[in-house]
Amino acid sequence: MKVSSVLRVSFQALLRHKLRSTLTVLGVVIGVAAVIAMVSLGQGAEKSLNDLIVQSGVNVVFVSPFLTTRGGVRGWGGAQVTTLVEEDATAIGRECPSVVAVSPLVRTVAQVISGNANWSTSIEGVGEKYGEIRSWTVAQGDFFPARDIRRAAKVCVLGKTVAESLFGRANPVGETIRIKNVPFQVVGVLAEKGQGTYGENRDDVVLAPFTTIQKKLLGITHLHRVFVAARGPDQVEHASREITDLLVQRHRIRPGQENDFSVGTMAEMVSTARTQTETMGLLLLAIASVSLLVGGIGIMNIMYVSVTERTREIGIRMAVGARGRDVLGQFLIEAVVLSLSGGVLGIALGVGASLLIPRLLRWPATISPEAVLVSFLFSGAVGIFFGFYPARRASRLDPIEALRYE
Amino acid sequence: MTPPVIRVEDLVKVYQGGGLRVTALRHVTLSIEPGEFVAVMGPSGSGKSTFLNVLGCLDRPTSGLYELDGVPVSTLSRDELARLRNDRLGFVFQGFNLLARTPAVENVELPLVYTAVPGRERRARALEALGRVGLSDRTRHLPHQLSGGQQQRVAIARALVNRPSLLLADEPTGNLDTRNGLEIMALLQRLNRETGLTIVLVTHEPDLATFAGREVVFRDGRVVHDVQRPAGDAVAQVERLPPPVREEEAA
Repeated sequence: MKVSSVLRVSFQALLRHKLRSTLTVLGVVIGVAAVIAMVSLGQGAEKSLNDLIVQSGVNVVFVSPFLTTRGGVRGWGGAQVTTLVEEDATAIGRECPSVVAVSPLVRTVAQVISGNANWSTSIEGVGEKYGEIRSWTVAQGDFFPARDIRRAAKVCVLGKTVAESLFGRANPVGETIRIKNVPFQVVGVLAEKGQGTYGENRDDVVLAPFTTIQKKLLGITHLHRVFVAARGPDQVEHASREITDLLVQRHRIRPGQENDFSVGTMAEMVSTARTQTETMGLLLLAIASVSLLVGGIGIMNIMYVSVTERTREIGIRMAVGARGRDVLGQFLIEAVVLSLSGGVLGIALGVGASLLIPRLLRWPATISPEAVLVSFLFSGAVGIFFGFYPARRASRLDPIEALRYE
Repeated sequence: MTPPVIRVEDLVKVYQGGGLRVTALRHVTLSIEPGEFVAVMGPSGSGKSTFLNVLGCLDRPTSGLYELDGVPVSTLSRDELARLRNDRLGFVFQGFNLLARTPAVENVELPLVYTAVPGRERRARALEALGRVGLSDRTRHLPHQLSGGQQQRVAIARALVNRPSLLLADEPTGNLDTRNGLEIMALLQRLNRETGLTIVLVTHEPDLATFAGREVVFRDGRVVHDVQRPAGDAVAQVERLPPPVREEEAA
């Protein structure tokens, strides 16, 4: 019996029971959709984690002035902990051999005004090495030098978004902006960095000397962070150990007492995020497997029903010369057509979800052609596996019994 | 000399199941020559259906010899029997046994689907077979859109499409009224006379058996009666019936 005619017969049989066929393949649809969504999200997360490492600099180590549980990353709070100070940053640069550059950081959010234009943005007070540590470059003008830090100069470097919001296309270098009524001279504009890992705009920032921000805007003497660049990616571990030892000593922390700071690396943040992504992936994989199993059993059940309903048809086909393997093939192909239709629907749903999730949840997703192909083939395999026993039962019917079946 | 279409010798069929032993055929010996039209008669349980199933290669005898066109059948596998049903045999059943929701022409094509005959030729042969049973104008109709007599003619066309050496008909008029039954008999008689098709017809209506040239009667699994005699003319009998109600209205 020709494959084309078997296919036609299969499609007719399935279309005859549209609702039944649809409900039957629902399990496969959900399973395949889950697999595709899972792989897309997993790959998206992997990609953005890799981006994060590259964006943030592989050498970066940061010191935060608060207590953390291991591996956890807290927000920018830490207002009560005021023990991290400029002298700590200087000491790190002076005494830790694995460290090449250090920059303090203080941070606030404020409105920035230029003429009639105003823009609310994040203000980061940093040291002169900050751009170097985080691999941020200046597109126009220059980064402020160490001298400006020492004398708390009222200068700033604008992120691209801020520059465009305040000055449009005009060159802002040399202009003056006001932050909380304090005038700052613009000395440079950062090169565009685009979206960050979690969809945040990394160009929406103003950089100024940390001394200026401490004195003029915040009235504090402590730091929110110290950013450190290690000598190389393989020196990151060394550097964080040296920094920890140094600060334990400087802050006079006794054995058994908790540190009032924590030293983190990008690699740690990334591995935490990766673990979360993997857990999520495993969860989706479990859903997908259960769903495909249930879908397969559904197909098996409906194929048994179909074989019973069509016993007489099978008898007729056998009487006119269909061999066991012709009947086996027919029902097997029918099961595969059924499960593949489910697979195709599932792929459509999964791809749809993978396109929608990044928009709705700001989660990155990358649609993987391999995942689409594999789930298509897998849904076909589900049809073969679960369709085999019903098809074999059909092929072993006794034609005389089958013809007599009412 | 061509061999007989059917030669059975000492055929025995025993059914065994649930501790019960039923002997359906007891040492049947019989030959049917090409071109014969044989009516097989007998009360229910006489073994005539079993005999037909064995002739139709749907069932295998417990012992004894069965040759179809000179080919010994008793020892063939399931697949080989299927092949034989496909090339050498045509079946017509009491209940028509057409595939529902499948147009007449596709029902007729069904045996050819299991052969190497290409699609275009299958369709041509199916249309030709429908022409021979007088249904050229009903090829796209579905079974439920046809009257009983027309459905049985589609079934006959299906039985003819693979050009069989033997047509087996199991009470083909059992579900039809007198006129349609007679018309089916007339069609079978015409096919037998014009093309030399060998027909074995199972019936328990003695009137219908008179249209066959040979009558074989079974009782208790044995042939108790086997006579050849001139057959009645079914066409003439159809003509003697009162004028028909139009089939479209009846259906």
